[in-house]
Amino acid sequence: MLVDFEVIKRAQNRDSVAFNEIVLAYRKRILGTITRLIARSEDVEDVAQEVFLRLYFSLDQLRTPEVFEPWLYRLTVNAAFDYLRKQRRRQEFRMSDLSEQQVLMADATAGSKVEHEEQTKKKVRESVDSLLGAVSEADRILLMMKEVEGLSLKELEKIYNVNENALKVRLFRARQRVLKAFGAAGKKEGLG
Amino acid sequence: MSLRGNEDEKLDALFRAYRDACPDPEASVNFMPSLWARIDSRQTFLFSFRRMANAFITAAVALSIALGVYMTIPRSTPGNLSETYIDVLAAANPLDNPDIVSPTARLELNGR
Repeated sequence: MLVDFEVIKRAQNRDSVAFNEIVLAYRKRILGTITRLIARSEDVEDVAQEVFLRLYFSLDQLRTPEVFEPWLYRLTVNAAFDYLRKQRRRQEFRMSDLSEQQVLMADATAGSKVEHEEQTKKKVRESVDSLLGAVSEADRILLMMKEVEGLSLKELEKIYNVNENALKVRLFRARQRVLKAFGAAGKKEGLG
Repeated sequence: MSLRGNEDEKLDALFRAYRDACPDPEASVNFMPSLWARIDSRQTFLFSFRRMANAFITAAVALSIALGVYMTIPRSTPGNLSETYIDVLAAANPLDNPDIVSPTARLELNGR
């Protein structure tokens, strides 16, 4: 826990100072999770604000401060899911859609090491974003929470309110679909 | 060591690279002011919605009471309400009225 239970209790009573304290403590972590979940840096702050807005108006429904973190993660997952659903497959011009020659030209213009590293990171982000297109928005978020955020099944169980076995099955299926897309992308790259 | 295939390991490596490629960003200076502006705006909306809902409920209760009172007040209508349907019918059609007593008598009177 990044804040004391006492602060959460005060925030539940609409104490704005306590609420500010919570936001400041969790802001960076939530921004990071959202960045990885939605993969659109320009909208990250907007979604994070939506999370804290929902937290402000639902904090009084929290029965015990002990479940605060899973509660906050649930709000994050829901806000990211709503965002992704709205954005559903908005066709964008992505690096992964460019021809190899265009990628090489882009790489050539990125002369310095820093720029090259940035290009590599961008490519990784785009590859993962593209691969996760093989699963639904809900499965994408679940997979991200497990594989990238590193949450355990026990933690996911608390966030999703679903039993561990159901989560395992869902994760397995989602991962299989992503693996299939990954294999297909690898073959395509190998041929090209 | 594991039964996981080569592709599995590559995918895990890609996820790790993705984690490194997406570090936790810093919030902009406008983060907190914008958040509070959104909270205030939502609160204002909820407050006016609640006020409208209260006004509507009050109006509905007042209307129900008014209707209840109206229904319980005995109304003074023209005519004697103690009369039964039979009384009214008898008054409208006296016994000497041939139409009621004997419809055929009317035909005889008309010259048959």
